[in-house]
Formats: sequence, C-alpha cells, structure tokens
Amino acid sequence: IASGMGSLTLQGGSSMVVNLLQQKKLIPPSGVETPSPKLNADYKKVNCDPSVFRCTMTSIPQTSSLLNKARLPLGILIHPFKDLSVSSLPVIQSSVIVRCKSCRTYINPFVYFVDQRRWKCNLCYKVNDLPDEFSFDPVTKTYGEPQRRPEIKSATIEFIAPSEYMLRPPQPAIYLFCLDVSFNAIETGYLTMFCQTLQDVIEKIPSDARTQVGFIAYDRAVHFFNLAEGLSQPQMLTVSDVDDVFLPCPDNLLVNLGESKELVIDLLNQLPAMFEGNMETSSALGATLQVAFKLLSPTGGRITVIQTLLPTAGPGALQNREDSSKNVAKDIQGFGPATDFYKKLALECSAQQVAVDLFLLNGQYADIASLECISKFSGGSVQYYPSFHAVRNPSLADKFEVDLRRYLIRKIGFEAVMRIRCTKGLSMHTFHGNFFVRSTDLLSLPNINPDAGFGMQMSIEDSLTETSTVCFQAALLYTSSKGERRIRVHTMCLPVTNQLEEIFHGADQQAIIGLLAKMASDRTATTSLSDARDALINAAVDILSAYGSTLPGSQRIGTLPTCHSLRLIPMYILAMLKHVAFRLNPSVKLDDRVFALQECKTLPLASMIQSFYPDLYPVHNITDKELNKKVSSEVPSPPLIHLSSANIDRNGAYLMDTGSAMYLYIGSAISEQFCKDVLDKPNFMSIEDGLHELPEVETEMSERLRNFLSHLLESRPTGATFTLVREDGKHRLKFFEYMVEDRTESSMSYFEFLQHLQKQMKS
Amino acid sequence: MAKNRMATYQEFIQQNEDRDGIRFSWNVWPSSRLEATRMVVPLGCLFTPLKERTDLPPIQYDPVLCTRPTCRAILNPYCQVDYRAKIWSCNFCFQRNPFPPQYAAISEQHQPAEIIPQFSTIEYTITRATCSPPVFLIVLDTCMDEEDLQALKESLQMSLSLLPPNALIGLITYGKMVQVHELGCEGCSKSYVFRGTKDLTAKQVQEMLGIGRGGLPQQQARGPGTSQQQPLPSNRFLQPVHKCDMNLTDLLGELQRDPWPVAQGKRPLRSTGVALSIAVGLLECTFPNTGARIMLFAGGACTQGPGMVVGDELKYPIRSHHDIEKDNCKFMKKAMKHFEALANRAANNGHVIDIYSCALDQTGLHEMKFCPRYTGGHMMMADSFNTSLFKQTFQRVFAKDVKGEYKMAFGASLEVKTSRELKVSGAIGPCVSLGVKGPCVADTEMGLGGTSQWKMCGLYSNNTLGLFFEVVNQHNAPIPQGGRGYIQFITQYQHSSGQRRVRVTTVARNWADASNNIQHIAAGFDQEASAVMMARIAVYRAETDDGPDVLRWLDRMLIRLCQKFGDYHKDDPNSFRFSENFSLYPQFMFHLRRSQFLQVFNNSPDETSYYRHILNVEDLTQSLIMIQPILYAYSFSGTPEPVLLDTSSIQPDRILLMDTFFQIVIYHGETIAQWRKQGYHELPEYENFKQLLQAPVDDAQEILQTRFPMPRYIDTDAGGSQARFLLSRVNPSMTHNNMYAWGGPVTVAGDGAQDANAAVLTDDVSLQVFMEHLKKLAVSTSS
Ligand SMILES: [Zn+2]
Ligand SMILES: [Zn+2]
Repeated sequence: IASGMGSLTLQGGSSMVVNLLQQKKLIPPSGVETPSPKLNADYKKVNCDPSVFRCTMTSIPQTSSLLNKARLPLGILIHPFKDLSVSSLPVIQSSVIVRCKSCRTYINPFVYFVDQRRWKCNLCYKVNDLPDEFSFDPVTKTYGEPQRRPEIKSATIEFIAPSEYMLRPPQPAIYLFCLDVSFNAIETGYLTMFCQTLQDVIEKIPSDARTQVGFIAYDRAVHFFNLAEGLSQPQMLTVSDVDDVFLPCPDNLLVNLGESKELVIDLLNQLPAMFEGNMETSSALGATLQVAFKLLSPTGGRITVIQTLLPTAGPGALQNREDSSKNVAKDIQGFGPATDFYKKLALECSAQQVAVDLFLLNGQYADIASLECISKFSGGSVQYYPSFHAVRNPSLADKFEVDLRRYLIRKIGFEAVMRIRCTKGLSMHTFHGNFFVRSTDLLSLPNINPDAGFGMQMSIEDSLTETSTVCFQAALLYTSSKGERRIRVHTMCLPVTNQLEEIFHGADQQAIIGLLAKMASDRTATTSLSDARDALINAAVDILSAYGSTLPGSQRIGTLPTCHSLRLIPMYILAMLKHVAFRLNPSVKLDDRVFALQECKTLPLASMIQSFYPDLYPVHNITDKELNKKVSSEVPSPPLIHLSSANIDRNGAYLMDTGSAMYLYIGSAISEQFCKDVLDKPNFMSIEDGLHELPEVETEMSERLRNFLSHLLESRPTGATFTLVREDGKHRLKFFEYMVEDRTESSMSYFEFLQHLQKQMKS
Repeated sequence: MAKNRMATYQEFIQQNEDRDGIRFSWNVWPSSRLEATRMVVPLGCLFTPLKERTDLPPIQYDPVLCTRPTCRAILNPYCQVDYRAKIWSCNFCFQRNPFPPQYAAISEQHQPAEIIPQFSTIEYTITRATCSPPVFLIVLDTCMDEEDLQALKESLQMSLSLLPPNALIGLITYGKMVQVHELGCEGCSKSYVFRGTKDLTAKQVQEMLGIGRGGLPQQQARGPGTSQQQPLPSNRFLQPVHKCDMNLTDLLGELQRDPWPVAQGKRPLRSTGVALSIAVGLLECTFPNTGARIMLFAGGACTQGPGMVVGDELKYPIRSHHDIEKDNCKFMKKAMKHFEALANRAANNGHVIDIYSCALDQTGLHEMKFCPRYTGGHMMMADSFNTSLFKQTFQRVFAKDVKGEYKMAFGASLEVKTSRELKVSGAIGPCVSLGVKGPCVADTEMGLGGTSQWKMCGLYSNNTLGLFFEVVNQHNAPIPQGGRGYIQFITQYQHSSGQRRVRVTTVARNWADASNNIQHIAAGFDQEASAVMMARIAVYRAETDDGPDVLRWLDRMLIRLCQKFGDYHKDDPNSFRFSENFSLYPQFMFHLRRSQFLQVFNNSPDETSYYRHILNVEDLTQSLIMIQPILYAYSFSGTPEPVLLDTSSIQPDRILLMDTFFQIVIYHGETIAQWRKQGYHELPEYENFKQLLQAPVDDAQEILQTRFPMPRYIDTDAGGSQARFLLSRVNPSMTHNNMYAWGGPVTVAGDGAQDANAAVLTDDVSLQVFMEHLKKLAVSTSS
C-alpha cells in the first residue's frame, strides 16, 4: 500500500486515484489535458505534435502480456495532412533524402548517431552510412554536425522529392464536380450557393497553370459540359442511356482552368437557371460516377459529388432500406452497403488515383451506408447536411457554404500513399479511415485532405526489452496542387515501460476513446449495434477492473477507483452510447447514424471527442477575467462544464459546441440586461427561438460573446450551425439530448452507468 | 389516213398527259383477260398524281362519294346526271346516288366543276382538316473534311430562309456518337448524345430525350402571344423555324467536325444507322402521321453499329457489284435489313427520308435506298458538299411552283378505283402498299400489289407511279360496242400550306375486241409510256432477280412484241415492218439494255441504286431521257438540231450536247476543239464562232437550272478523257463492237439452253446489229 500510495503522491495530479462515484468534476475548466510521454528533455522538445500523431498510451508496454494486463487498446491516431503553420512544418529540398537502407525509415530526430558518418535506425536498428551531403551546409558551405539538419531538429518535416519518387510526371490538379440537378436538388437551392461559392473562390483553389476542371450535372441523365477554349458559350451534352453510360466526346469535358475560365464562370452563372423547374425526380449517381471515373482515369484527380437524394436510376440504383430496418425490432439493419457497386468503383478509382468526395444534402433516406463506399475506398471524404435547404434551414446552409468554401480552397495532395512504420517488435494490424490498403503498411490515398484522420490498431509481437523507446513514423508521399512531389514525414517517440502503473498513468483517455470509437464503428457494421455497445461497456469494465486490480482490495470497497489519466473513460463511453452513432433508439434516422459511424472512422481526434462530448460553457456572465491569453486579449475563455442538466440554471445562458453545431441556450429567468445586451431584445419572452445568428449589438457583452464564438469557429476547419434555444422553445430537446450525464426514459444517468459498470465488474 | 390517225392519237395522248398527268401503255383496251395477256406490254400507266396544274379551279368543298359502301367512287364527268331528279349514277358501279342538298341548284347550265368534262382532274381542299406545319429534321454527318462541312453548314443555314416559317425544324448530328440538339436554348447549347453502336426503339428515344415526361421544362419564349398550345408532346428538339432560325444558324456555325480521333489507315467511325434510327424514332414518338422530312446528309459510309456497311479499316474497301455477285459482303444484308426496317417505320408514320450522299467513295446508298424509296424521299449523289451540284440541288428541294407554293407535299395516299372489267395489279414507284384489299384489287401482282391504295409520305409534282392493270372480263362476256373502261385515281395529301387536299383524276378508255380489232388496239399503243413502264418493271425485277435474267426477259418480251405487232413474212427478216407508233420501241429497248440501270458493272452499287431510284420516281419525259439520252448538234450549217444518238453524229465541225438526265455533256468536235484552243472565239472577227460555242452552253444552263437533282456538267473535247461520257452512250454504229471495252466486261446474255431466241443478243452490239438479230428472231418460225 505504502509504495503504491507513495508513487501516486510522488507523481502528483496525474497519478491520483480517482473515486468516480464521488468525484463529480472531472473536466478541468480549461479543457481535458493531453498526456505527455515521459521522455528526456531533448526528445520531448522535438517530439511530434499530439494533434498530428497520438498513441493510446504514452508509455508502451514492454511485452504483450503486460499490455494484456492493462486491458487498454493499443493503437495510434494520426492526422497526417493537418494544416500546419510554416514554423511547425520545415520544408526542405534536398538532392538526398536520407533513409535507412534496411527498412526505408526516414532519418529523424530519434535516430542514434554512432559517429559523424554513421547513424543507427531507431526502427530496425540497422547502422547506416551518412552521405556527405547530409552534413554539408550549403549556406556556410561547411561540413558540420548532422544534428543541425532540420530532419534531426523536427519530428515533422516535408521533403520536396527528387525524380526517383515519381513513377510518372506528377499529375496536374484536376477537379471534377458532379452536381445533382434533380427536382429535389434544385428545390434545396444548393446549386445557386455552390455556383456562387465556387465563383468566389475560383482564384484561390489550389492550382497551377496545368489545373483542369470539369462539371457534370446529373438527374436521371448525365449532362456533360464542353468548355473548350474558344467556344462562344458552354455546350451541354446529355447522355440518357445511363445503363450503358459513356463519354460523349473525347476531350474538352475537362478543361484548363486558366484557359477556359470565362466559360467556366459563364457556366456557373447559368447552371442554376438551366435546371430551374427540372421535374426529373430520379438520380443516376452510379452512372455519373462511372463516367466521372472514366474522365479522370487517364490522369487521376478529385471528383466532388453533391447528392441530395437516393440514387434510383441506372447502375448502383438503391432502394429505401430505412423503413424495413425499423420493422426489425431486434436489431437495426442497414449499416453495411446494399451493393458492392460503389466499393468496386471506388477501388477502380483508387487504382487510377481518383478520389471521390461526397456532399450529401439529402432530407430523405439516401442510403449513405452504400454511397459512402465510393469515398471510403478511394481516399475521399464524406460530408452530410441532413435536411439541407438554402432558405428553410439557413443555419445549415451557412455551414454548408463555410464548409464548401474551405473544401474548395483547402490544401490537397494528389496520388498519395502513406506508409506507417514502427519499431521492430510492434506490428500494425487494423487500419481505420478512408483509403485502400495496398500492401501491409501502405495506404493508397488518391487524394489526401487536411481534415482526414486515420487510426491504426497495434499489437506487440516481440518483447521490447532491448530498447527504452519506440518510434512510429508516418510518411505521406503526395503530389501538390503545383505539381511537386512531396513527402511529409511525422515521427513520434514513446518510452517503453515494464511497469503496469506507468502504463495506466500514461494512458491517453481521449486517444483510447478515439480508437474504441473506430473499433465500435467497425463492429456495428460487421456484427451488430448491440454487440458494439456491449463491447464499449466491456471496454470500460475491463479498464476499470484492470486498474482496480492493481489497487489493494481495501481501497476498492465502496468506491469505483480509477487513475486520473483514465477518469473520463466511463463518461466518454456513456456519451458514445448516447451518441447518434451508437444510441439504441430506432428513431434515429439510419443515414444520420451511418454518417456518425463513418465519422468515427475519419474525424481527427479532437473533433471526434467534441462530437461525443460537446463543450459546454456558461456565457451569461462571460467576463474579461477569463480572457484567453493564448489567443488574444479580446477573446474570453469561459470555463468548461459537465454535460449535466444540474449545471443548467434558469438564470443562465449556455453555449454548447458539438463541433458541427452550436447552441446558445437561454434560461427562462435570464436577466433582461443579457437579453438587451446580447440579443437586442427587452426580455426573455421576446427572444426568438431557433434564431440562427447572434445579432450584432454594440455592447461589451455582445462583443465578447461574438468574439468567443468566432474564435471557436475559426479554430476548426469546418463551419458549424448556430441555433438559439429558448428554455421553453422547440429546440430545447435537441439541446438536452447532449446532456449525456442525465437520465432519460431509455438511458442511464452517468451515476447509474457507473453503478452498472460496478455491477458488471463484480460479475 | 393512217398518218392522220396517228396524229390524232399523239394529240390525244398529249392532251391526256397535260390534263390528267397520265400515259397509258395501251389507249384502247383489249376487252378480255386472255387477249390482254397477249399484248406483251402490260396494260398500265404512268401516273403523276400531283402534276403541276395552274388551271385547276379552287374547290373548297368535299367531294361527293358514291353511296355504295364497296364503291365510294367520286362524282366525275363520266357520271350520268339526271338534273331534274338531282341524281347521278356512278360510272363504276352504276349505283344511282342523290346529290347532297347543297347541289339543289344544279342544272345543265349550272354544273358543278367536278362533272365538267375538262375537269377530269380536279382538286378539293378539305377546309375542316387541321393544318399542321411540316417538320424538317436535319441529320448531319460531321465526319467530313473541314471544307465540305463548311459548305454543308452554309447550305443548311441558307435553307432556313427557304423553309416555311412555321415549319418545325430539328437537328441531329452524328459521327462516332449521335447528338440530338435542343433548339432555342440561350446561353448554353444543349444536346443529347447517344452511342453510335446501339439501336434504340422509338420508346427508348422518347424516354431518353425526356419527351412527354418530367425532364427539363421547355424553354419558354419571351413575350406574349407565343404561348400557343401544341397538341403534340412538347418538344425541345423540334421548334418553329421562325423561333429558332438565329439559334440554329449559330448552332450550325459552331458545329465542329467529329472530335473523335481517327487513326492512320482507318475510316472515321460513322453512325449513320443509329442516327437515322433516332431521327425516325424521334418523329415517330412526336409527330406520327404529320408531314415530316428527315434530311440525311452523309459524307461517307456507316462504319459502326446497325447499318454498318464497311469496317473502319481502310484496307478493306466497300463492297462492289462483283462482291455482291460473289456474295462476298459481310455487312450488306444486315445493313439492308436495318435500313429497310427504318424505311418501313418512317413510311408507317408518314415521314419522308431524303438522303444527300456526297463523297468520293460510296456511302452505302445501296443499303439505304429503301429509305427514300419507301417514303418518297430524295436521293442525291455527288462527290462533295462543296459543289454546285449539291448546293443547287439542295436549294431545289424547297422549290416553289408558279403560285409560290412549295412543290413538296406530304402524307399522300393514292387510291385506285376501276370499273368492273378491270382490276389493279400493282404499282412501281416511290410508294409503299397500304394493304387495302377490295373489289378493285387483281389477283395477279405487278410491283407492289394486293392493294388498291398506296402511300407516298413525300410527293413532288414530278413524282410518277407506274400502275398496272389486269383485264378480268372473260372472253365470253363481250363488252357492248362503245363501252368504256374507267379508272379513278384519288390522291389525298397534305399540301405544303398544311391544307389537306384531295385530287381526283378519272379516265376512260375504249374497249376493243382484240380477236377482230387488233389494229385498233395497236393504234392506241404508246411506245414511250411502254418503254418507261418496261424499264420500271425491268429495274424492279433486277432488284430481286439477277441482271442477265432481266436482260433475257426484256429481249424475250421485245421479240414477242415484234412477233405480235410486226408485219412480216415468216422467216424473211427483210420483210419485217413496224408501224410508226411501234417503230422507236426497239431502239428504246436497245438503249435500256445498255443503260446503267441494267448494266451495273461499270458502276458502283451506290451509283446503280441512285440511278434506279431516279428512274423509279421521274415522269415519262425525264425517264425517257435517262433511257435514251438526247443528242443535239450545233454547227455553222444551221440551227441546232436533234441528231441520232449514234457515233455517226460525232463530227469534227460539230458541237454536241448530250443530256442523259444525270449528265449534261458538251462535246466539241476535233476541229471546233482546235479552234477553241487557239482562241478564235476571242477574236472579234470570229464572233459567230463565239456564238456557236455559247449556244450549247446556254441550252445546257437552261436544263441545269431546272432539273432535280442537278445534272453533272461536263465540258469536253474530242479525245478528252471526259469524252467517254458521250462515247459510252452513243450507238457504236461505225465502230467495232469492242471499241469501248474499257467500259467494263461485255456480258453475253444467256447460254441458249432455254432461250435460244434471246441468246444471240450481246450487250455491246450496235443498234443495227441488234435490229438485224431482232428481225431474224421475230420472223423465225422456230420461236
Ligand atoms: Zn531501419
Ligand atoms: Zn359507285
């Protein structure tokens, strides 16, 4: 007992035993901490940013049996193409890229220099010669220490690759837009927004002189556009034979953006009116994708699809599976694709360096489970705007516009591959994200975008007794929109331990949740939702049991102990069980659920955590005292509070941020001052429920709140909807749905859940 | 006396042709079936249903029909009228019919036009019928060189101003793909694209074009007053000319050559078969039974998909007559099946298909010929669209008559009614059978038989049908002296103005008993009409039988005619005499035998189809020119004169002008040519030579300006390479038989086993030799 207690006290806060039944406040006001691995100062300083590279444990068990004892999942989460500031991403152009001769690892800060001329690989331990050029400084024209090289000074680095990294000349940036123009699509009003937005940013889309664009509009037929330079106006070519679709002409369907810009703009101006009043209600998405692929297959590129309804015409036609799934009382069906059409086509796309991104704007069931396969296996992305309508759903329309704008101008990598290497002894076995696994550790990513996250599960094959650290290296080889071949390399170093306590104390609870979410998402699709839910509960039980078993029995009586680094696991798991992805409620729309499950696989960790357990801030007395010093003196930083109704006061106003949605909840007893200052209304009764924009009132309070909101929005890549929720308004339920610690008719409160876990542990 | 009677007959024939557009082979009819079959040349006529007439009274009421349900003949000048009782008796069935109430005021002084003898041909305008504007659907090949395409585009742009402004127009272009263009789109041109390899039903075309179902809304014309409701499915592909002519002009202007690359040694992939199928389907589902023309402009052969006539490998040439003879054409039968099916569909829907084929090589007219043939469409052939031949011809499609009305008519049907001694056995011409059986239909068939009605989706004023009749009266049922046979031709059609019109021609001819009055019948023989009708039959047979068989048949018929109507002593060829109205007939047959209609090996199958098509539609005069070209001589010794189509007419100091219908050849004799070369005509003192040179040119111009299709104009000299056009047509009287051996293989007809009498005739003998043989065979007792 004494030694256990001793180590706990010695290591301070992070190693305190937390009795979950008593400790109510688990989230620090400033947010949940990110654990930092116990490394020497030099390594700590250069180690990869946890927002890019993260492991479920910051101390790696030395053996697999030790890992088994900890009952923690081992895996890494990576956000490889995350937008990075210039200062955190050194880019070097070098004639020589130093790599291990044996395992092809890129030289990195965690290698061992045997001497000035030799280095030992930190992944396979092979001793390699150092080329002369490596130590040569072209600026000073002297040979010096290899350690001063950027490769050694930064765990994240980007190389501009020499020609041997190219199998063919780097492809130009090619963008093909496939636009749903069915009756349904036109009715949503998205097309006007799309055309306007693309026109706005056309100068900013990642491009060079070779960049090409193309447009396909589709309903029951596929409409191509010939935009050949020199034409006086665009030519629309319609192919109605969707069962046997083909390209109507050999060229000019993809045109050089620079040369045909006028025609492109002309088309964008005309498109909405061209399909105004279209009565066609069916959609030949499958055929559209087939020809889009055909169009891009000689070069590779990006296909952007905006779809608003279930495709019902031609190949890949789908049926409504939602109603039938509701009738099956036992378990919900329809998480898997109804056809292998989209997967097969995606694999063909992948082989030709074509990725498909989906924007789903459907109000009715569109079978996302089937459709998403086209993106899943081609390295594309899926975005979903349920019940999108430009006028009737202005908040979502705003988000769509923000997202689209970001999407169009964000960085993009073409014909990419990502290889993940790890220190000998460790082995990766399951990959999560949108890609195609080309060989055991090589992911094929026809496109890579800065908002895509990936996860890998790992096992310990051989004991890591000969080393005190292990390393993971992700190398992303891609072609930039300027036609450069580049390699972005991230290397993460973690200590190895043979102590169970260190494993627990070093556990990264958010990363664990991130990995569990991916595993549960797979589980849902392959077996069943209830099975996935059971697995999540079991994971919590296992983790608590495993930790508990390290404590003396006396300490466990009447308590539910866990260590500080794992204290949020039960709460997060409860949140997951109540999340759209895993909620056991047949009223959840199948597409909503499938999309949520998809997000579990692809969202970067921070966004995923936020979607499970949104951030909640009291804002009724948002003050200067809480100014966020990290950002600017103008942005206040109210404390985070738990998602429990108990924290919601009638006098208060609360901002909830789920990542994709924001809710400003106004208690019915809110001060008239707040109403006046922030909402420009005399009192609570005059506040408009469902308001989708915060009015600009020239008061300090309003300004502070707006600053805070825009700070939150700016710190994420995507947009978010905004909804004002009156305590007595109809949006109230939506807000309280996120109060995951509350009890509902069909779900346990947090406290009940803990008791449930306790019961499970005993049995 | 005899001479006098001939003149009378010639006048009679001319009068009848002028008034009724009709020429009978026999103008006195043998009164029994048995005798009729012995006439050798069948009883029949060449009938030009819409013969241009400026003197027809405008009749704005409906015709009066015989009330007998099985008759329904129309009141005509041959009907007996009882003015007091207001009753007329039908000259076909003898039914007594009361006049309708509106005829109450008629009297001998006030006769309605239809019973006045001079109006044996009369035209009614059915005023209550809806007027629908005609539809023009352009089907345009884009696999041609830039120059040709440009010329064609310009011709088409020009044609827009020639169309009736309310006509609907549409555009389909094709190459590897087939594009159906939407018209009237602003800001962005739109078209539907189809694979050129896949045939589609009309229903599929309709669905894929989104016609009559959901789809994009019709682009609404701005401004009030244009929202006129269309009774037919709204259709973005066929728009009124006045609404879309600017748009279509621009569309044609931007039209590019087929963009698909063509590899070395390949033909472009050209989807004529599917393009035409889509055109037929589009009209079928949008404007059935409305006057419409599909105008196909082909710059080459169909090389893929249904209707393919040749592969895309240039090393394999398109089929020749030799390939056809050897049954060595991979694609021909399938292609013919495709185009014939399309032709039948178009004909069923009342739509015309014109084919304008302009290419140096063949384009598959041989396979496509059914389309114009069944629908009354045009067939036109030239080397390039960038020729005046095409340009002028195409303009003439939209020619107007003296009244300023389009010569083209649509949706015509011809019904034939006969008096009971006579039945109709068939028709040969640009028509299809309507399959209407009835009391007037003969058991024997000639051409398209088994019906008394035919359909001509397109009909021009010159279009002429060959109609054949069977005398059914038995020998033992004599016709009373002075009895006459009647035939009524009822032509219903859509006038280019959109009006529904009915033209009625009623003719009567005397009966004669051939057993004792053969000379009466012989006197009524029309050798010109007979020659053209025999030519039509021969070509009709040639399309089904082998060429040599047809020649043998023609020879046999000629010999039999000579035997029956010649005057001779047995076995004395020198005694043979033919009366004047038979005398030219053997010569017509001689030239017919040598013509491109039956001697196919000098031409490509496309050319043969083209020549035959024209022969099948033209009127008597033009047909006769085709069979026996006209030759005029110009010299200093007098005014221009017609001369024998004979080598003897070729003289050094003469200029010859030959009109073969398809070609106008000006041939300068050796001396004339030399003078011209030396430039005498440019010297003021040789003004008369200049005039001599100019005279045939002016005469040729006259022909060139009116004829459809425009003939090929050839200006050549003695010894010039183009002289062959003349030399191949003239009778080789002064030369050895095989002088023109370059003209192709000499075919020797028959082997004598079955037709000993025909075996001696060869194809390249001179007229004199031919006549000698003929006489010998005619008088021979052994035959
Ligand atoms: Zn290595
Ligand atoms: Zn009658």
